[in-house]
Amino acid sequence: MNVNVIEASGLGKRYGRTWALRECTLAVPAGHVTALIGPNGAGKTTLLNLAAGLASPSAGTVSVLGGVAAGSRAALDGIAFVAQDTPVYKNLSAADMLHLTATLNRRFDKPYARARLAELGIPLGRKAGKLSGGQRAQLALTVALARRPKLLILDEPVSMLDPIARHDFMANVMTAAAADGVSVVLSSHVLADLERVADYLILLSAGQVQVAGQVDDVLASHRMLTGPAAEADTYTQRPVVHARRGAAQAHLLVRATAGDPVPPGWEAHPVGLEELALAYLREPGAVALPGPARSRQAEQSEVIR
Amino acid sequence: MAAGSPIEFRLDPASGVPTYLQLVQQVEHALRLGYLKPGDQLPKVRDVVASLAINPNTVLKAYKELEVKGLVAGQPGQGTFVRATLSQIALPELTGLRKALLGWLAAADKAGLDEDGMVALFTSALRDFHERRGGTGRVRRGAARDEKEDIA
Amino acid sequence: MTALTMPANQGEDAHLRPLPLRRMAWPAWRQHRAALGAVAAVLGAVAVYLWLTGLQMHHAEATYCHPASSVACSINFTGKYGETAIVVSIALQAVPVLIGAFTGAPVLARELETGTYRYAWTQGIGRLRWTVGKLVPLAVAVTAAAGAFTVLLAWYNQPFVAAGYVIPFSARVFGLLGVAFAAWTLAAFAIGVLAGMVIRRAVPAIAATLAVYAGLAFTTGLWLRQRYIAPLVTSKPNPPGSAWVISGWYAKGGRFAFGDHSNGMLSAVAKLCGAASRRVIHVNGGVESVLNAPQCLAQHGYTQLTSYQPASRFWPFQWIEGGWLLALSILLLAATIWLVRRRAT
Repeated sequence: MNVNVIEASGLGKRYGRTWALRECTLAVPAGHVTALIGPNGAGKTTLLNLAAGLASPSAGTVSVLGGVAAGSRAALDGIAFVAQDTPVYKNLSAADMLHLTATLNRRFDKPYARARLAELGIPLGRKAGKLSGGQRAQLALTVALARRPKLLILDEPVSMLDPIARHDFMANVMTAAAADGVSVVLSSHVLADLERVADYLILLSAGQVQVAGQVDDVLASHRMLTGPAAEADTYTQRPVVHARRGAAQAHLLVRATAGDPVPPGWEAHPVGLEELALAYLREPGAVALPGPARSRQAEQSEVIR
Repeated sequence: MAAGSPIEFRLDPASGVPTYLQLVQQVEHALRLGYLKPGDQLPKVRDVVASLAINPNTVLKAYKELEVKGLVAGQPGQGTFVRATLSQIALPELTGLRKALLGWLAAADKAGLDEDGMVALFTSALRDFHERRGGTGRVRRGAARDEKEDIA
Repeated sequence: MTALTMPANQGEDAHLRPLPLRRMAWPAWRQHRAALGAVAAVLGAVAVYLWLTGLQMHHAEATYCHPASSVACSINFTGKYGETAIVVSIALQAVPVLIGAFTGAPVLARELETGTYRYAWTQGIGRLRWTVGKLVPLAVAVTAAAGAFTVLLAWYNQPFVAAGYVIPFSARVFGLLGVAFAAWTLAAFAIGVLAGMVIRRAVPAIAATLAVYAGLAFTTGLWLRQRYIAPLVTSKPNPPGSAWVISGWYAKGGRFAFGDHSNGMLSAVAKLCGAASRRVIHVNGGVESVLNAPQCLAQHGYTQLTSYQPASRFWPFQWIEGGWLLALSILLLAATIWLVRRRAT
């Protein structure tokens, strides 16, 4: 079953005169951990806010969980959102947060939440304001997961956390994805850990989508060619995303597959996710979109035609 | 019976090797060294994810590759279990391969390549070979395949 | 992957029933119990003070002020407690706005300020029910508390009203009596809530609430209140009973001539009556020079007119004031809810 947890078409959001997000068209499939990456100010938070229903579009549409309107009752029910800086009420204890979230939602797995907090060593009675940053983030994540959502949206969840807290946080997210089939969309401007974690990638830069696709497909469709700098400018066999030059040697990130011919004297290597992302971020005009997976309706209408 | 798997995975993020491939290689390595024997259970996906904080699809992909290679078999609801040891290549074939390799090394040395250069060239060629094959290990030749067919 | 069975159909989603509003009872209480407790504590402390001093005042009035015009009354009652009562009454005018501002403004402002709205508005209950489920109980609670408090205020003021020291219409006490006190508290709450939503920061919102309320209260007390019902006009020198005198003026031939004690009057008197109009009276050792203007002007054909609101209109005025304050409060709260619905970051 091909369901898209987030589907956007021409989505745009404007604040005053500035477009924070423009012409955003993508389809994030269910059952994946999607990394939304891009520099600060790229529009990641805007996109996630639109998906979570905290903002409404200035242009285009966005739907979630297989065609449900973002922000609608069903969307709120099925999506758990953990905003940047993982907001929790500072004068509420962890137990209060559990009770609060249970009261505000249809589903809440309190035993699971308590067990998780116990595992993490977070005392139920202490006020959230007195917890460490990592513990607050874990608390926010716990109440989100205990809602048993279909989609978990995390906005820069680990940027404030130390390495151990970061690892524990991501381990818990990944376990939920594994055990309960939760789809995850998380944004980050830290690229290093993403290759381990993400299997779907959206690269956002200056409010526009540059890359959107399965990580495997994206990596398989790019190669790094290394060869003489003199020939770099005349290379036209495949689209060049980004070029780096020394005096004698040049590296070209091209859109090509393993089977594509390599010019004589050149070497071809596969590209890692971090390198690829950096290259695209350095070339705002470059776009690599395999095309969003159509919704079933679109496919059916094509068959009829 | 046994509470967990005999092996534990580790990750080397700086190695440049894709995560799933690292897992595959670690299983194969464990098989060669005898840490894993037929019948042993591989770590549960959930446990791997919890300890390494990696994408569960990655683990599944690694286990799938091992399954295609005929090394493991998944039992629904129970886990993934080791099915066979790593194929033993027949001795004559091994000897022949070794001889060819020594010949290549001599030629490379004669061309002026130093040892690091030889390793670099070999690694690069191996990578190309792996990619051309599609990286799935689908096409298997030699005794391993025959062995698999015998068992089937 | 464990196949994610996520229904793509709209049917199930469309039939999702909303969570009942009563789910908001505990969240509203838990998050605002501190503010409500503070209100209760402050009101309680003031109540104790009013009760203790009020007992003394009631006793004095009962003992010395029958009849109310006696010297004993003015020594032992009005002289002793009058000024205190004035100060207390003026201070009590601030209670509605303090309750309203400190309970109302932080409700939304804190959420927006601290970013917790990003949690609250993404929960299954939805932002509308969350907002309504908080605002309505809080509004009812502060209004009810204020209403109960009014009973004490009326009791406190009763001896002064009985002794004729103050009339219920007086700007000093009108807002403390009847339904006005509760209505003003509700209005302050509603102003605070809207200010909090618009300004998005608690402290500036509280300040804005105080300012807006003060403007509204002064405008009402000084200008609006007397116009609820067209005042009666009499040519008798003193309006009946404990009426609320609005203004006085002189007319000649059916047309307005000049206001009482205005410059126009003074110059007319000086022109028409000259020095003979002055009469000196000694009162209690002080000297007051009273212009015997009314007699003088009456002789020259001027009629003295006074507009006033009779004491019997006190309750109708209370209902009118309570009514428009209630309507305003509902409007402001509705506007807030509309903004919550619309505000998409």
